[in-house]
Amino acid sequence: MPNDAPPQPIHSAKDALAALADILGGGLPGSVAAADDPAAALLNDPDVASAVTRRLRGSGSGAGSDSLCRWLYDAFRANVPELQLAVLRFVPTLAGVYMCRAVTRKALAGFEAVLLALYAHAAAQRGAGEAETVSLPNLANPSPYHDAKVPPKAKPAELDVAVLSPPLEPHGTVRATRRARIVGAVLELYHCKIAHMPLSSKMDFCEFCVAWAGTHSKLDGTDKPRLPPSPDAAAGGGVEKWRRVPLPWELFLPSVRIVAHCLLGPSPSDELKEQAARAAECLYWRATETMEARAVLASRSLVRLSQMVEEPIPEPSFSGAIENMAELEAMRANILSTKN
Amino acid sequence: MAQDLDDGGEVAPAEAAPMAEVAADPSPPAAVVAPAPTPEGELVKAGGTESSNPEGLSLNYEEARALLGRLEFQKGNVEVALRVFDGIDLQAAIQQFQPSLSDKTPSKKGRTKSELPSSVPQNNPASLVLEAIYLKSLSLQKLGKSTEAANQCKSVLDSVESMFQNGTPDIEQKLQETVNKSVELLPEAWKHAGSYQEALVAYRRALLSPWNLDDECQTRIQKRFAAFLLYGSIDWSPPSLAQQAEGSFVPKTNVEEAILLLMIVQRNWHQGKTHWDPSVMEHLTYALSLCGEPLVLAKQIEEVLPGLYARTERWCTLALCYSAAGQKDTALNFLRKSLNKLENPNDILALLLAAKICSKECHLASEGVEYAKRVTAHAESSNSHMKSVGLHLLGSCLGKKSKIVSSDYQRSLLQTETLKSLTESISLNRYNTELIFDMGVEYAEQRNMNAALRCAKEFIEATGGSVSKGWRLLALILSAQQRFSEAEVAIDAALDETGKLDQGSLLRVKAKLKVAQSSPMEAVEAYRALLALVQAQKNSSVSCKNATEGVDGSVTEFEIWQGLANLYSSLSYWRDAEICLQKARALKSYSAATLHAEGYMHQAQDQTKDALAAYVNAFSTELEHVPSKVAIGALLSKQGARFLPAARCFLSDALRVEPTNRMAWLYLGKVHRSDGRITDAADCFQAAVMLEESDPVESFSSLS
Repeated sequence: MPNDAPPQPIHSAKDALAALADILGGGLPGSVAAADDPAAALLNDPDVASAVTRRLRGSGSGAGSDSLCRWLYDAFRANVPELQLAVLRFVPTLAGVYMCRAVTRKALAGFEAVLLALYAHAAAQRGAGEAETVSLPNLANPSPYHDAKVPPKAKPAELDVAVLSPPLEPHGTVRATRRARIVGAVLELYHCKIAHMPLSSKMDFCEFCVAWAGTHSKLDGTDKPRLPPSPDAAAGGGVEKWRRVPLPWELFLPSVRIVAHCLLGPSPSDELKEQAARAAECLYWRATETMEARAVLASRSLVRLSQMVEEPIPEPSFSGAIENMAELEAMRANILSTKN
Repeated sequence: MAQDLDDGGEVAPAEAAPMAEVAADPSPPAAVVAPAPTPEGELVKAGGTESSNPEGLSLNYEEARALLGRLEFQKGNVEVALRVFDGIDLQAAIQQFQPSLSDKTPSKKGRTKSELPSSVPQNNPASLVLEAIYLKSLSLQKLGKSTEAANQCKSVLDSVESMFQNGTPDIEQKLQETVNKSVELLPEAWKHAGSYQEALVAYRRALLSPWNLDDECQTRIQKRFAAFLLYGSIDWSPPSLAQQAEGSFVPKTNVEEAILLLMIVQRNWHQGKTHWDPSVMEHLTYALSLCGEPLVLAKQIEEVLPGLYARTERWCTLALCYSAAGQKDTALNFLRKSLNKLENPNDILALLLAAKICSKECHLASEGVEYAKRVTAHAESSNSHMKSVGLHLLGSCLGKKSKIVSSDYQRSLLQTETLKSLTESISLNRYNTELIFDMGVEYAEQRNMNAALRCAKEFIEATGGSVSKGWRLLALILSAQQRFSEAEVAIDAALDETGKLDQGSLLRVKAKLKVAQSSPMEAVEAYRALLALVQAQKNSSVSCKNATEGVDGSVTEFEIWQGLANLYSSLSYWRDAEICLQKARALKSYSAATLHAEGYMHQAQDQTKDALAAYVNAFSTELEHVPSKVAIGALLSKQGARFLPAARCFLSDALRVEPTNRMAWLYLGKVHRSDGRITDAADCFQAAVMLEESDPVESFSSLS
């Protein structure tokens, strides 16, 4: 991290709040500053979120001297779980801006320090050299949810073990060829906690995902392919446009998982679902570009699922007429009036 | 929960007392129906306080509310229904009914059944009240009050559970239906309320407790639970089970549990217990592709009975699975069936995949060209994306094809077409980095180094230097331009950006660059670093198996010893070379490269016969081994005039396979000269000279 001494060390959510107020200058909205649970306020307050993401997206952010990156770094390292959630909330914007800018090889020491801290946390959580694996069930073995006829004394059938995420090697710096892996692992960490994340954070990710894929979604309607800006156009003033980035499987996979959560997870927001459907489609087009089979399979399934309607819970059926209708009618007024 | 029920308990009596006064209030709904007559008010009051009606009245207070609420619910007046239901005191009602039910049901089952004729099931008090609570919960859910809904629904299930502690008896149909519905509603209500932990528990309770659910209902719950697990990213905890059968599969992560459930749903469908639902297969496809288990997925798809998928659709998906698993031939066979003109010959995705598979193999290249051309012909004009991909693959297939055609004319024709397709593809999608890379390789192979260099730089720019093969392409192009020191700079930059374990192919290029610059000691140093790296890779792959396999451009130990042997023999360190060759041979018994190196050693020591034998062995092990063909040609050309035709034959053959082989041109020139064909000789020599200035340290084909 940058060498200038931090204004004050962050030990608790309160410290973090105070430090953030200094960094953002204008101070925090009163509701946040006076909140009983500052970490939760940081996580969920829309004003704070938009102020921070605006800073993260702003030109010149992510340099080694960026005080906001320093804050994210310190806040995450304070080892307060609730505060860590509040930092993770900004991962979509952080990773999104970082990946788009890293391609142009700007110095982004601030972003990288935060990402490496998150990566180290993910690696420590997982354990050295441990891959995240999944044992595939074999229906020949019984399970809590089904019975299987197992001949007595037969050995249980062998299980396939699939690797969902390979082991996380330690990284002290971000080397270009490992960048996707590091950011991918950070996104995996975000994905683990995504159920706690506010809507706007997920919306941010879907937005960047569309930019990363750099392909055109049919949902946007126009015939003209919406290509990412050429490098010179991006440099030429105005709002920075987010550009396509290399999407190897190690970055593609966590992106797909996050998009899948936004699309099919328990969140009821239609706005998010729509944005996620767009992101899924863009990822699918991107996958067809290289025709990498598993990327095509995974993203195509999401696109198809986004077009299917979930089977509704059947409405209760009311068979049979009520016999005591007259009696009931007589009682109706009484009952209805009593509750007023 | 408990508190909620207490509330209900307090409401009912309080309500019953001031009934008379409240009833007189002319509230809108009451006014619409009719003014409340007093006797009935009394009646209701009596019904509320007593459990049964001795005076021949068939409805008590709770039942009346239950029925009335149901009527309102049926009419869609959810809020009115809710108001009516609010007055029901579940706890009290249950307590009233419980003894009668539990008395009757387990012991005198037969009589109970006969006592409850099917015509009056809805008047069974317990089921009526429970249904009312269920409907109340559903109404709350519809009004968005999910937490309350969940609590109400849970109280239904708790009551049922406590009523039937001794297992599920043959409960009457109406009650069973209410149980089913409540079991299904509860997890959804928790989910909507955002209480994911409760939802998880509720789902498991639904599936693991003996509710006697019907198959369809159970399947619906399983499907929703699987989706919840797969996409919810909740804090997962394993199911708590009293006992487990030995060898039983107990899921350890949410993904495992989701896959298990989806597989069970699929199996239930096979057994005819449920209807077909395409979303199950899509969820399963998603989950198994995440895990990188395409073969398991293929098996699931193959098990689906005919008639649900269009067969071409199934073949195409299977091809994707097999292709992901690396079984290219199987995948291609499926695609051939699917793309048959009687089936679905213009399916873009299948065509693209087929072209992609074909573009990797020389002998399939012609077939691939056909597929790719069909893509470009049939991709809608608006779909420039697919068209671009099609053109890209067309270019790759044409490039591959150009390598195996026999005539120069055809080759140059194909090469021109290759570049044309790639250029056209780039004009449609100039951000596809793979495309830029392939374009660079194609230019390089056609020895258009300036254009190749441009592409290589553009590729590195676009990927931010994050792809190792881009750096290698750059270094090879620079080496072909004899700019060795710049090539080394590129390799060093790449080494900087690469983690230790992935540096293999870069170090190999570096060693070869050192050889090309005649710095043998540094080359040996580079090879030593490579050996150390391979050793490290071995160790790490022991600790975490199959993690490092398939890493882009990894180097085998064999290659290193082979490279070292070549280096030592070029320095005439015969003993060292022999040691290295032995090491190489131990790793790979029959290798053309080893035999060729052996031949070279014999030749250098003037053992012509042995050398020739080794070379012949080399190209019998690998029919297209160019260096040994060139070496044989060279050897024969020195053996006198009567061997010249044979020498010419070998050299021409070598040039057929690798038209840019400079040594072959050189010796062919010598053969022509010895035969007196001076013009031909001059042409060959000129070709050799031109190629010398564009020879990379390593073949460009090592890149892809």
